[in-house]
Amino acid sequence: MEVLATAALGVALVVLGFGALVLRRLLIWKLLGLNVASGGAILFLVSLSYRPGGKPPLIGFPAGIPSADPLPQALVLTAIVIHFATLALSLAYAVSLAEQLHTQEAERIEEATEEEMER
Amino acid sequence: MKRTLAFGALLLLTAVLVPGFLSLGTLAEVRPWKGLAVVYGAKNGVAAVVLGARLYDTLLEVLVFALAMVGVRYTLQPLGRWREPVIPERGVVREMADILLPMVIVFSVYLAASGHLGPGGGFPAGAIAGSGLLLLAMAKGIERLSRELHEGKLEFLEYGAIAALLVLGAAGFLWGLRGSGLLVLFNLLIGIEVTIGTWVVLHYFAAHRGEI
Repeated sequence: MEVLATAALGVALVVLGFGALVLRRLLIWKLLGLNVASGGAILFLVSLSYRPGGKPPLIGFPAGIPSADPLPQALVLTAIVIHFATLALSLAYAVSLAEQLHTQEAERIEEATEEEMER
Repeated sequence: MKRTLAFGALLLLTAVLVPGFLSLGTLAEVRPWKGLAVVYGAKNGVAAVVLGARLYDTLLEVLVFALAMVGVRYTLQPLGRWREPVIPERGVVREMADILLPMVIVFSVYLAASGHLGPGGGFPAGAIAGSGLLLLAMAKGIERLSRELHEGKLEFLEYGAIAALLVLGAAGFLWGLRGSGLLVLFNLLIGIEVTIGTWVVLHYFAAHRGEI
């Protein structure tokens, strides 16, 4: 039951984040929406490693108790770091775009780049 | 029109996720990981997977991290420096930093060095040391801290840590090196790399803001 609740929360966060990513106009808000979606995906994956009555996947606990699955946790460790790095990079690009085009709105940035392409 | 399309796409996304979600009622057996942990000299199953069975994934992940930090450097460097000191020196924070910083640094090194035995590892250790640097930057002013850290040499340390990681990984592959010492070395090197990466993000986002 706990798995279902946590996984449902993760899916809800993903949908919410993608909604912000699609519907918001400013780049910073879009990136923050992506951030929320990524947090939801991480929550979903971590909730998969839950086992009822399980202990952390460490050697040293008395035998016979079920242990949580270490594999999703290891996958998520990678995802968190890559998420941090790519979010920093995309925010840097957003700052650079705002410096050049004096706007953060996605549609105006598209218009400006299209004008540049036509020239 | 656009909003309806967006909502339709979101509904479709949810519908795609639902079948996988419904299959969560029965959880699969945990694959036996204790043998794997013993083989790689770890007591922590996650560390055995990250630094043993999926070592190449971790190495390439560190490479991606370093590449993203290079991207942040070269994207933000042309934007002008902020004129006044971005984070000025503050007396109160300075006093608190004197008390807290040793604990933060010791805890971070402890996490990196004992990541194969319990909860911890190189990535959280690097993040903790990076937030220690943030504390120091708020206490001292970020430009002064950057001068005191010798940022140019830090860059060499970062690339040196990556090169050492790759050489260690290749050595582990060629000669079948395994054991706790190797995991500690991996964790410490990853910790150094992540610390410098977070410092780069912190410094460049604070100092090079550009003008709008």
